[in-house]
Amino acid sequence: MALKISPICRLFVLLLGNGFSTAGVGIKFLYTLLSPDSNIWDYTWGHGTLDMGRNVIATVCGVVERVNKLVYVRSLRARYKPEIGDIIVGRVIEVAPKRWRLEINFSQDAVLMLSSMNLPDGIQRRRTAIDELNMRTIFVENDVICAEVRGFQNDGSLHLQARSQKYGKLENGKLLKIPPYLVKRRKQHFHHLDQYGVDLIFGCNGFIWVGEHVDVKDATVEDQVNKSDPQNTDSAILQGSSEEPTSTSLEIRQYICRIANAITVFAALGFMVNLEAVTETVTLSLSLNLGVHEMLEAEFHVQVAEQEVERRSKSTRRK
Amino acid sequence: MVGLSVGEKNFIKGGIAQDLRNDGRKRLTYRPIYVETGVIPQANGSARVKLGETDVIASVKAELGKPRVSHPDQGKVYIYVECSPTAEPSFERRGGDELSTELSIALERSLLGGKSGAGAGINPASLLIKEGKVCWDLYVDCLVISSDGNLLDALGAAIKAALSNTGIPRVQVREAASSDEQADVDVSDEEFLQFDTSGVPVIVTLTKVGRHYIVDATSEEESLMSSAVSISVNRHGMICGLTKRGGAGLDPSVILDMISVAKHVSEQLLNKLDSEIEAAERANEEEP
Repeated sequence: MALKISPICRLFVLLLGNGFSTAGVGIKFLYTLLSPDSNIWDYTWGHGTLDMGRNVIATVCGVVERVNKLVYVRSLRARYKPEIGDIIVGRVIEVAPKRWRLEINFSQDAVLMLSSMNLPDGIQRRRTAIDELNMRTIFVENDVICAEVRGFQNDGSLHLQARSQKYGKLENGKLLKIPPYLVKRRKQHFHHLDQYGVDLIFGCNGFIWVGEHVDVKDATVEDQVNKSDPQNTDSAILQGSSEEPTSTSLEIRQYICRIANAITVFAALGFMVNLEAVTETVTLSLSLNLGVHEMLEAEFHVQVAEQEVERRSKSTRRK
Repeated sequence: MVGLSVGEKNFIKGGIAQDLRNDGRKRLTYRPIYVETGVIPQANGSARVKLGETDVIASVKAELGKPRVSHPDQGKVYIYVECSPTAEPSFERRGGDELSTELSIALERSLLGGKSGAGAGINPASLLIKEGKVCWDLYVDCLVISSDGNLLDALGAAIKAALSNTGIPRVQVREAASSDEQADVDVSDEEFLQFDTSGVPVIVTLTKVGRHYIVDATSEEESLMSSAVSISVNRHGMICGLTKRGGAGLDPSVILDMISVAKHVSEQLLNKLDSEIEAAERANEEEP
């Protein structure tokens, strides 16, 4: 394709859409197709660009994005950028007075206030000093929690809330970390795969939870089960036995591992992670009769890439 | 090392009990091993081994030295491990020193045998040039770039690969006038002798989690271990060294069982490692 380059528009922006990156290192020129009479001053230059008088160049290596008149460059390995209403998965790193601090792959730790969390007995009441002392019965350090972004404070810290039944502690599963830009914001982030009996939660911060399915029960019932579990498991561990009350069956465990490996392969290849892609990959691995850990080998990566190519060409054909 | 919640720990333990680990491996399956040799051109031999996310480099440098008075017919081998701060945040500054010393000692014990040099995987007598006067000193330096569990196995494999890549220069000894003087040696720049690595053992670490042993633990699984036994076995099925880590005590029958499991696993590992080293050496030769 011939590029019409007029002397005025020395700026060149390559618009390739999401998922494709501009190859190159450090500062580079961005090339584009602009009609001859368009002016570079029509555009607003956003993050990652630098106006150098004659040219506008990219200052970070990444994907060029364009929204109406705004052109900016999004870097590939960015930290998570939170927005209000995002569903995230995080790990508790500290139990502080009246709040929990969570690590969510953001520049600061997120805060979950005690008042933003449902009480075990489910009653809506004011949090007393006794509730504060019993915070550890709800969440302890290193627990994995699913919550929603409530908003930002003046100092830029993030506040979360977990008032609904579907939020809360996650157990019996595996936490995966992938780059945040691979998870697109959708309507649904909680997925329940019936045919596998597996829960899949795509956190917008790049933390993905794959675990055994848990029915969204009453808070009272669920917390009573949780309270009795730690005691049982602790004594079981002391006896040297590896059986715990809520042991996952081998079949569900295999599916959990397959899904986790599929997501790892996607992250390694840099593809967007969504439910259809992951389920297709899992069925592909099952049809090829691959052992679960063989999914992490080089040949399967190639096959997943081919499958992705097919899917993209199908979607472009449809358009 | 990020912590794990109680639920995740139980999940991992349950998986090990059911022979399906977190990444889908069986209890006795190794992660894919990737070997690259000749990564450090200035050294006599070097190799880089990747075991999953664990990444280590080993280099061998040979220098002329004098044999020990107690063992005039042997050369000397020194093994030193350094844990780079890039591997773990806890390794910054002096944080990695303890682990480095522990790994160095464990490797020396596994590969060099006792003080008298008996039963060593690397034969020091092959390093001799002139008895009592000149011998080769081998300095084996290892660097841990990235740590995801099972450092000892990866280091053992890297040392084995580095040694098979090592070329010791040929020496001609010129007779000295008096026997007290240092003998003159002509170190050839052209001819190299390949080091004989058929006797070099490989290290297999068995980590005990609950009631079962696993091979090649990731750092998550290592955080759950009660104890770990590292056994170095050579091609003939002989045990060259044994190291136990971890606070929990082990019944003697358990140790014997672990040894037999390690011997069984080491055969596959040796074959895999040898074929990988060969492939790496061939790739080196093909390059211009």
